Amino acid sequence: MNTPGTFERFVIPIGPQHPALKEPGNFQFTVDGEIVTEAFVRLGYAHRGIEKAAEARNWTQDLYLLERVCGICSHVHALAYCLAVEQLAHVEAPPRAQAIRVLVAELERVHSHLLWMGVSGHEAGFDTLFMYSWRDREKVMDILEGLTGNRVNYSANMLGGVKCDVDAAQADAIRTGIDFLEERTRHYLDVVSKDTMFLERTRGIGIMTRAQAEVMGAIGPTARASNVSRDVRAEAPYAAYKDYPVEVVLDERGDLEARFVVRLKELFESYRLIRKILDTLPAGELSVRMPRRIPAGEAVQRVEAPRGELFYFIKSGGGDKPERVHVRTPTVCNLTSVVRLAVGSQLADVPMILAGIDPCFSCNDRSVEIIPQGGDASQMMTWEQLRQHGIDFYKGLNK
Amino acid sequence: MNAFLALVNLMIFPGGLFLLAGGLAYEWGDRKLLAVLQNRAGPRWFQPFADTLKLLIKEEIIPDKVNAVLFTGLPIVALAGGLTAALYVPVAGLAPIFSFPGDLIVTLYLLSLLSLCIGLAGANTLDRFSLIGATRTLTQVFAYEAPFLLAMLGPALVAKSWQISDIATYAHSHWLIVIQPLGFIVALIGLMGKLEMPPFDAPEAHTEIAAGALTEYSGRGLALFHLTRAVELVVGLSLVAAFYLGGLANPLEFLLKTLALLFVLIGLQSLLTRLRIDQTVGLWWRYGTLLVLIQWLVIILVMR
Repeated sequence: MNTPGTFERFVIPIGPQHPALKEPGNFQFTVDGEIVTEAFVRLGYAHRGIEKAAEARNWTQDLYLLERVCGICSHVHALAYCLAVEQLAHVEAPPRAQAIRVLVAELERVHSHLLWMGVSGHEAGFDTLFMYSWRDREKVMDILEGLTGNRVNYSANMLGGVKCDVDAAQADAIRTGIDFLEERTRHYLDVVSKDTMFLERTRGIGIMTRAQAEVMGAIGPTARASNVSRDVRAEAPYAAYKDYPVEVVLDERGDLEARFVVRLKELFESYRLIRKILDTLPAGELSVRMPRRIPAGEAVQRVEAPRGELFYFIKSGGGDKPERVHVRTPTVCNLTSVVRLAVGSQLADVPMILAGIDPCFSCNDRSVEIIPQGGDASQMMTWEQLRQHGIDFYKGLNK
Repeated sequence: MNAFLALVNLMIFPGGLFLLAGGLAYEWGDRKLLAVLQNRAGPRWFQPFADTLKLLIKEEIIPDKVNAVLFTGLPIVALAGGLTAALYVPVAGLAPIFSFPGDLIVTLYLLSLLSLCIGLAGANTLDRFSLIGATRTLTQVFAYEAPFLLAMLGPALVAKSWQISDIATYAHSHWLIVIQPLGFIVALIGLMGKLEMPPFDAPEAHTEIAAGALTEYSGRGLALFHLTRAVELVVGLSLVAAFYLGGLANPLEFLLKTLALLFVLIGLQSLLTRLRIDQTVGLWWRYGTLLVLIQWLVIILVMR
């Protein structure tokens, strides 16, 4: 392969199975020594066909299905779906239900950000931060379990309202937990902005300028760390965010440190919201009646997941099943920035840059793009063609 | 009778089996305490033994297109180097079994064999993670080795001997950590670099390059490399304690002083973030070497 005068490209594959990734994704980094010169991303290893499956189930069953799109931000998926279906049915959930939806969403954000901080610390080789932040995350998991009965897929939503109520004892338990977490978060903010060795790995690394963030369409905390004010909670308040306005946390530095700082400061904002909701929870019903058949129409709903904007499109044909459910998760929007920022950086920083957007691959993988070998023209396949392709492919393997 | 005694010394105590068991026990201490500091449960006391035993029993897979002799031979050379080095060091607080003028240099070179063997083992395979890991391992050798060597020669200068037993005897009446604090710091941190402990674990940073140079190793080869690292932990700690912490006159002193050093290493491991390889090199040549040269200057000026 090697002819004199030419160099073979040295490609480091990260994934689909790799210690840095907890989920399957494939990144190929061409390196020159320790410097990355090319980056390539390939997704689709966790494709589960959820959107198609949603068309075969009724409106209520879909709620449970879509909650399982993501294991970390399960509540926002259910929330976006419920809000969109309620839009179609011209039903509005009662104020108490909307407030509880926001309460659970913010608790989920706390759990997601703490989880992310641990994983990022681990990518940098700072396992102590990893272990401690996950220990503290247990607190918010306990709160969520006490509130909804579940640790992961909380299932707090139902069409037309919520299933769980907050009584005085639960409110007190949440307040105590939040006090503890706030103190810990202050400590972590101290660590990530003052620890010299850690700053060596985050300050000035993977800088995304504001212009870059806008061009690449970055969203969520990744964009906010580059001073792009993008937050659905503030731009287009949904559920009870109108009554509990959010202050958008921004940072202008755009490096990894800024992403840590923005996420941690968002936690304080979440704590403030949670306390306020507990103090001023409106009285009233938890749910209203929903029709079994949803009137024909199309609805779009945007919500702010912990990782950024989550987008739902739902089309109803007037039956008891949706005609089309389309989900766009935040990781899709932010992945471009990883590929761009990785080029020119050190190989050792790549896991941190990748973790910096808080990627979530199983959320991500819902479309299939076929790249024929030897050519770069991609083609789209219909469902039938894809099915046939799969059958042929596996038959070919058995020969 | 003499031959028999020498054989026992080599194979059972204080070389050979005793050293292997001691190394694994220290490795357990390292893992357990680090776990406790990180709010984890940590392994049970026999875990390093069980790991090693299991790896030794497992089939060793030799990948395609490697030099099989090198692949199986390098771990053996590394372990032999570590065990041989122990013979010249007052392990367990006993006088070294063998001793000759200039054995300090030989010992330090024998201790470096591990890093060299790991580097060669990585470069021997075609695996991409191994190649990057091997490059990093060898880069790191060039970073820490010179400052570490200079730091270990500081005590030799004041003791006016390059024989480990002489230096240890001299150190017994002089706590060199007081006279040469800079040398002590560089020697201790150098030991961390040698053993690829965090924050100097870039050569095996598993979030980037899986297991680094040893990615292709399984079974016996991997077990031997692990054993070598465990042995070098004990030998390195003994050497630093004997030189800087007032010598190792008896087993109790050995235990107390090496464990105290181990605690310091574990504390550092839990506190620090992994350095990139360029940062490691920068740290050693910009600060480590400078510190140890200042130490030498002070020694030379005072001794005149």
